[in-house]
Amino acid sequence: MIEIINQIFALESKLIKTGSNDYTRNFDRIASEFENLNYHVINPIGKPYRNEMTDVEASISGDLNKNSKITKVLKPIIYQIDDNETKLVQKGIVIVE
Amino acid sequence: MKTINFAIDLGTTNSLIAKYDNGKIKIYNNPLGLKQTLPSCIAFRGNRIVIGDKALDYLEKDAENVCMLFKRKMGTQDTYHVPSLDQEKQPIELSSLVLKELKNFLPDDETANSVVITIPAAFDTIQSNATKKAGYLAGFKEVVLLQEPIAACLAFANTSNIAVKEKEYWIVYDFGGGTFDVALVEVDERELKVIDHQGDNYLGGADFDNLIVKNLIVPFIEEKTGQSDLWKSLKSKSSAHKGLYFELLKKAEEAKKELSNFEETEIELDITINSEDLYDHLIIKREMFENLILSNVENTVTIIKDIIKDNQLLNSDIKRVILIGGTTYIPLIKKSIANAIGVEVNASIDPTSAVVEGAAYYAGSKPSELKEEENVEEEKTQEESIIDYKFFYEQNTRDSEELITAKFSGVDIANFRIIRKDGGYDSGVKALKNNSFSEFVPLLEGRLNLFKVQLLNTDLEVLKTIDPLSINHGSYSVNGQPLPNDICMEVDDLDASATRLERIFAKGSILPLKKKIYKTASKTILKKSKSNLTINVIEGKSNGLPSSGLSIGYIEIFGEDLEDDLIKGTDIEIELEISESRELKINVYLQSCDQEFENVFSESERSISINKINTEINTVLGDVEAVIKTANSLENFEYSNKLESIRVGLIEIQIEASMLQDDDISDTKFQLDDKKRKLIQEFDDLTRNELVAKEIEEYNDIKADLEYHLNQDENERFKTKYQRIIQNEKEVINSLDKYLIRSKIKELEELYNAIIQSSDENFISYYLGLKFYDNFINKRKAERLFEQGDKALEQKDYKVIRHVVYGLSALVPESDRQKRKDFNDDSKTGLN
Repeated sequence: MIEIINQIFALESKLIKTGSNDYTRNFDRIASEFENLNYHVINPIGKPYRNEMTDVEASISGDLNKNSKITKVLKPIIYQIDDNETKLVQKGIVIVE
Repeated sequence: MKTINFAIDLGTTNSLIAKYDNGKIKIYNNPLGLKQTLPSCIAFRGNRIVIGDKALDYLEKDAENVCMLFKRKMGTQDTYHVPSLDQEKQPIELSSLVLKELKNFLPDDETANSVVITIPAAFDTIQSNATKKAGYLAGFKEVVLLQEPIAACLAFANTSNIAVKEKEYWIVYDFGGGTFDVALVEVDERELKVIDHQGDNYLGGADFDNLIVKNLIVPFIEEKTGQSDLWKSLKSKSSAHKGLYFELLKKAEEAKKELSNFEETEIELDITINSEDLYDHLIIKREMFENLILSNVENTVTIIKDIIKDNQLLNSDIKRVILIGGTTYIPLIKKSIANAIGVEVNASIDPTSAVVEGAAYYAGSKPSELKEEENVEEEKTQEESIIDYKFFYEQNTRDSEELITAKFSGVDIANFRIIRKDGGYDSGVKALKNNSFSEFVPLLEGRLNLFKVQLLNTDLEVLKTIDPLSINHGSYSVNGQPLPNDICMEVDDLDASATRLERIFAKGSILPLKKKIYKTASKTILKKSKSNLTINVIEGKSNGLPSSGLSIGYIEIFGEDLEDDLIKGTDIEIELEISESRELKINVYLQSCDQEFENVFSESERSISINKINTEINTVLGDVEAVIKTANSLENFEYSNKLESIRVGLIEIQIEASMLQDDDISDTKFQLDDKKRKLIQEFDDLTRNELVAKEIEEYNDIKADLEYHLNQDENERFKTKYQRIIQNEKEVINSLDKYLIRSKIKELEELYNAIIQSSDENFISYYLGLKFYDNFINKRKAERLFEQGDKALEQKDYKVIRHVVYGLSALVPESDRQKRKDFNDDSKTGLN
């Protein structure tokens, strides 16, 4: 399942680059299905990066400071909810600049 | 006899911890990540200490405050100057910090007082003693050392069950991410001994990733973009392509891993370089990669040859070569060694965890010399030290970060650490200021966030763990306005030929609220037809009847509004939004028509349809009359009198409503709707318990039937599924929600059918049961089937019985069919 989420994520990232937004509805729908299957998928793009975030594996270019942001997300963060317990099942792979 | 059981591979680049437990080895995962490995790396950031993966973040920015590869300095007087603390850190102290962090991998109910720690074959007495000291400093009471190649041999011997009768020589080839080592081990019946070793401290798998970027990816990008000198620019400290370099390294690492399993791999490049987008694919064949790394691999083979020669041995004296370290996944390595030495090269053990695994086997057989009393005494002293604390934080919030403030009193507390239990956040070890701390912690949206707070002394030993602190994100806050009732939507309940309420927002949720839900159309609506789709949003109890709640938003979409046919089974997307001022916005998107409808409702605009009131009353009246009939037959006249007055009330409303026009502007229809709701609520309250009791009874019946079958040996395999279904039984029953209970019954029924269908013999009782049935659609056909069945029963041919049962079942009139047809009329919502 994690690989399916990754592939859908990659597909969405590619489509965003084309500038069209015809597909947003479909991706929202897929995201909602993942939620129903107890997978909480987070795309941290644009978020400020803090070293304390253990849910991402960051490649940091340049100085890490308060203004460091996640500029590219190669893989999303995936949490799984099992019996009300939330567990990290995939760390996001990100570039921080 | 008590054995040590715990083992640690204290590596130059990565460390692991494992336990021997009854013949099995458990390697612990880092609770803050998904990996078993902990990078042996520490960052000192003023009053904060970060150990492991996250310490690597500071390598670029603040390399002088990051300590790594300190294992190479063990036993020397070299120290690491940490400018942020203005202190000198010794390798022993740094190693002890890694060991303490590994202790954190153990679950709260496990403590390790004795441990086996592995050391390289090259370690002399002083280096070995330094490692022992690090172990004691980390709080272990007993430390036993074991050489890494020996540990690898033990892992191999234990997993492959080989018996060594005469003296043999084995080579352990250890090629990790950053270092390379070869050891020659003498093995006989009784012992394993390292007799020689050699290595290269500056060769590792990471070098191969760089080779891929430099020689394959960069030339490809240069060719496509016309860029020159890209490699130089990527590596330069002031480069604008810094982010790109790391991205390419990641891609190269992935390609390297793929090429260990496949003949070729594809690197997908989707990058921006000098403001130009490049999207392309680069195919790398295994052969290309092997050509790149060949000289490095040959160098390692030369080291093996040297070690054999230096010990006056011949290649044929070597019985086997054991591969460990992540880099040995590369097939070329195995092939090159086998060709050069001509012996069995064994890659059967997991190269990453072999050392800790072997060490754990050793720990499982090594008696502990630690006296039991020492453990008891230790626990006592911990209990005696009293620590007082007070925490201040918002338990419910809508913010993405929340402040946790705490104040402590008690001896020795110097540091704290906050960890979010889902693994997504770690504050690192931080110093307390004036016996208190204030820390912002990030929260996962819409979830219950659980935190664990550790209190540590100056030696970074954990004195107390406070577990858990819980912060609920998004559900309640003092400032927000909570919903006084559930907000639900009316949907079709095809099984019961009625409609029911589905909860969208729960009572107590904080405004504003927004949610997108997906439904499917339960009927086809042709364009221009009179048929309609109803979206009815209701405020009221979600387990009540739809007509008992207050309709706060009502949309009817008619066939004439549609640009295309709405086809049954297609998606309907409904977005509901309630603002802080309780304004309701409904946005409906119909997939098959590609059409959007948007409506905003506020108190003044509330729309009530006379039609709807009438339909609702009609539906309920039928039910009321049925219950009155049953109550009368049971001579429960008091009950039936109450119901009768509801019936009369409802009919009166219907008469009044029939006299109103649909476009009536007076308050009358609101008053009628209100009256109707109250009466239906009354009916609902009177009957709900009875209905729920019936569902619970049915639930228990099917459960008893299932348990009977599950107790038979052949159905053992269904037990896990059964346990999973009934796992939240209490919650479901206590909810007193008949739809929830019904859905559980359905799940149990499905399992029951699966069990029955798993064996032909189970059909006998069905067959015998059908013999008492006499309402078959085609009686002659049924008789013929019974003849066949009786014969099969005599011959014990149960497969035939199964088919006969299927055949007979098809001849039973399906009453449901008619019911469903009736239901697909325009009176229901059209949402499934």
